[in-house]
Amino acid sequence: MKLYSLSVLYKGATGAKLLKAAYDVSSFSFFQRSSVQEFMTFTSQLIVDRSQIGSRAAVKEQDYLCHLCVRNDSLAGVVIADSEYPSRVCFTLLDKVLDEFSKQVDSIDWPSGSPDSIRYTGLDAYLSRYQDPREADPMSKVQAELDETKVILHNTMESLLDRGEKLDELVSKSEVLGTQSKAFYKTARKQNSCCEIM
Amino acid sequence: MAESEEEVDVLVQRVVKDICNAFRRNPNIDEIGLIPCLEARYNRSPIVLVENKLGVESWCVKLLLPYVHNKLVLYRQRKLWLDRDALTDLTCTLLLLNPDFTTTWNVRRWVFQKIVQEICLPNSRNNSNSGMVSTEQMHRIIQDEMTVCSAAAGRYPSNYNAWSHRIWVLQHVAKCNLKILLDELSNTKYWVSTHVSDHSGFHYRQFLLKSVAGNSRSAAVTNTGSFLRKSSHKDHRTGLPAHPKDEGASVEAHTADVPLMIEEEMELCTDLIESYPGHEALWCHRRCVFYLWHCWNREHLQVLSDSNSRSDGTVNNLQMTTAGSYSSRGMDVDGAAETAKQSYTQETKRLKRGPSLDLHSLLEEHRFVDAILAGCSNSEQARFATAYRKWLDMVIGQ
Repeated sequence: MKLYSLSVLYKGATGAKLLKAAYDVSSFSFFQRSSVQEFMTFTSQLIVDRSQIGSRAAVKEQDYLCHLCVRNDSLAGVVIADSEYPSRVCFTLLDKVLDEFSKQVDSIDWPSGSPDSIRYTGLDAYLSRYQDPREADPMSKVQAELDETKVILHNTMESLLDRGEKLDELVSKSEVLGTQSKAFYKTARKQNSCCEIM
Repeated sequence: MAESEEEVDVLVQRVVKDICNAFRRNPNIDEIGLIPCLEARYNRSPIVLVENKLGVESWCVKLLLPYVHNKLVLYRQRKLWLDRDALTDLTCTLLLLNPDFTTTWNVRRWVFQKIVQEICLPNSRNNSNSGMVSTEQMHRIIQDEMTVCSAAAGRYPSNYNAWSHRIWVLQHVAKCNLKILLDELSNTKYWVSTHVSDHSGFHYRQFLLKSVAGNSRSAAVTNTGSFLRKSSHKDHRTGLPAHPKDEGASVEAHTADVPLMIEEEMELCTDLIESYPGHEALWCHRRCVFYLWHCWNREHLQVLSDSNSRSDGTVNNLQMTTAGSYSSRGMDVDGAAETAKQSYTQETKRLKRGPSLDLHSLLEEHRFVDAILAGCSNSEQARFATAYRKWLDMVIGQ
């Protein structure tokens, strides 16, 4: 039951911009960590880019579930978790983080912000604390259920793309992914699996 | 680039040598990982050592694994000799690259058996003659192996081989020692709570519960002496006598409180089902645990009702004399049957013939399912809850 990444982004007119992110890739093999991290950035940006303002979504990709929230003020958050982690807690976390972020970082700074320029340090602590969902959110059992009908479910990343768009192309064009990561993607694609050997 | 078989063989041997040398140069290596890399570059070794991490470029794995596997198979067929170090290196490599490799676990078990034979006197049935030293060594070896299994289980969901191996060690090395079984129940509780869809993890707990229940059922005292004396484990669990020096402790003092153990397991299951809706492994686990409870009740209440056949044998009598009740809420069972009469008339008529404690438990289960169905919006959870109720009616209700 794991959380892998927590990111705050801005959904601008020209595309999604990463403002700040925290990652936990400790469960991945040492040599795959940097690639995995880059992919999570890539995925988070892609999901926000392809989603409507004022929406919530959950995108399934193999054993991962990406939870997304795009607020009406274009501030967005993405949590990438494994399939065991309760979704309800992910959305609670997103609400909390985005709320705090919007109070600490002026909205004027969002459209032009980047991880280096943005002054917000809460993400690492949140990611760490929420690794144990019951520790972080003890009332989650009794609190009112989030209206899950409002969450759009995507069974694959592909379903987010426009007609004719291919994930392979987006990967090779991406500025977020390094050469090592792109090679990783190619290898995984060939073997029809990710992060597994055989 | 096509390579001849000889070239491949030479190459792979060099790679294995690089790996073994890396281990010798750095005994603190704690991880082997894959570096995704489609092809070999410039005649460089695919083995990379960074801090305590050993990296293997992925292109050579498809050559490495068959080679190493082949070596192991030949060794097993006695067509090839490998010394203990080489064997350890090979199995270690294989397990780290592919934690689900059955043959490797077999070889590990074989090595284990040799160790056990060396430490124990071959014809001692219990370890009390072996002295404290060997018992401690054994304990440490078992603990280490549990750690290996745990690490392997964490890298691969529902790693059947890792968990089967763990069971094997308990059966053949620890000889299902009661304290070790109870320790394992305690040690794996957090793991299953954070891997709620891992069927194998829960199956392991089912094995532990059944073994403890079986242990308590039989009159034989096996291997309990030295372990329990040294134990700082919860005393009420193992029923240790007040004076630890009491060597001649009766069998009863060394048996676990099975009803309490089952009750706690049911509570764990309830907690996880409520916190993490929609995981089938939790519901499967519930079935096993409840069924164990059901069988335990049947056996023990039968014994008691036989001895109580002269007396009133009323509901309350049975409830008080049975060691530990499923739910200590002190509910009046007749009252409960009364209020539930509208919904469960068929059940109650049938069950009133049987042990009443069972009826109480069954009603509790139905109430639990109703509560889940009333409160959940997860369609999978609803499906599993409904199926569980059906199972209760079909299997337990009979």
